[in-house]
Amino acid sequence: MSCKEILDNIEAYLDGELTLSDRRDVEDHLADCADCQAELERRRALGQVVRKTGYTPAPAALKRNIKAGLKDLTGEAEARFGWSQLIGFSGGSALVASISVWAVMSFLPALSLQTRLHDDLITAHVHSMLVDHVTDVASSDRHTVKPWFNGKLDFSPQVHDFSQAGFPLKGGRLDYLRQRPVAALVYQRRAHLINLFISRADDRQPRALHSGSQQGFNLLSWHKQGLAYHLVSDLNKKELAEFAQLLIQADH
Amino acid sequence: MPNRKERERFERLMLRHLDAAYNLALWLMREPAEAEDVVQTAYLRAFEHFASFTGGNAAGWILTIVRNTAYNSLNKRKRSSNLISFDEVVHSLQPDHALTAACPGPEAILQAAGDRQRLMDTLQRLPVEFREAIYLREIEGYSYKEIADITQVPKGTVMSRLARARGQLQTLLTEQQQRTQSRVV
Repeated sequence: MSCKEILDNIEAYLDGELTLSDRRDVEDHLADCADCQAELERRRALGQVVRKTGYTPAPAALKRNIKAGLKDLTGEAEARFGWSQLIGFSGGSALVASISVWAVMSFLPALSLQTRLHDDLITAHVHSMLVDHVTDVASSDRHTVKPWFNGKLDFSPQVHDFSQAGFPLKGGRLDYLRQRPVAALVYQRRAHLINLFISRADDRQPRALHSGSQQGFNLLSWHKQGLAYHLVSDLNKKELAEFAQLLIQADH
Repeated sequence: MPNRKERERFERLMLRHLDAAYNLALWLMREPAEAEDVVQTAYLRAFEHFASFTGGNAAGWILTIVRNTAYNSLNKRKRSSNLISFDEVVHSLQPDHALTAACPGPEAILQAAGDRQRLMDTLQRLPVEFREAIYLREIEGYSYKEIADITQVPKGTVMSRLARARGQLQTLLTEQQQRTQSRVV
């Protein structure tokens, strides 16, 4: 083999893809040719460098989320998502504005239960912005927002302001998910609105953070002390997760 | 609707390849959050099509789905062209050995690669098709035939992509090394 032929075959040689006779030809040439040998060493070093990067272990949350998703697909998780039926909006003419979004999102066939829950949450989130009805009580003062819910819900949601951490409270409103009143707290991160929906959970089991994303929105859900929390926003996942941590810690 | 038994079989066969799936997605998508999204979507899609898995190479089967999901996501966001755009013809025209004359020796390559993060950054500047070929060959150790099956291109294309990919990587590392040297001087 000539040096040119060696160079053409050097990758396949290193990758163990040559036939036995071709491999012998390459090795015979290499034994006598310092230039080609140097080239071989360069290629080998490159491979070593790349292999040094190794594996990044998959995050534990990814495995959990996949397992939860698989259970949704088999219907084994049905009991966990009791309140994921259609939303009954109240709001008169406001309904007209959101009806097309709502129709598209709600009647997709064969959605998994979790997907339907996500759809409902996104619809409520989009609805709040579409009809310019983000807050019933616009205040960054949690001592104003929290008492406003008194008598409107059969539970009392915790309200915190996170201005210091860059998530100022904008206010709160009453929303409805499955004809059930829920508290919606509104926060802001730069230009992104974040809706935090709080409802009574169907069971008292605490549930770890569960994430999803759909139609460009990110969602994070968890259950705690008998309440279900759902964050919805077009904010990126990382910052939304940071916000979830703030909320979870604040409720302690 | 698939049942619990099938889910358990799927988990047993496929979750053991989660690290490989995640790392492939990470190499293709570059962003960890996006890689997670892709892998989760791919696994759920794979389960819905589990009936089409007829046994055999489970890793190859799931990686093919991860790879296709990643490409869908990249195409949707039209992001595959945001760095060095990929064109099989143009990339194939570069004779890779022309580069070798000015190439540094093995020690210099190792040195130029620097720490892991810097090396990953350099690898991420390669077109997605090259990153894929390098990942499957160097990290997973797949044969040309196996890579051809996963990436759905002929074996010859795998071979030429790998050669160009390595050539480009060597060029990038050489440039990096020259920059480092000129800073020192």
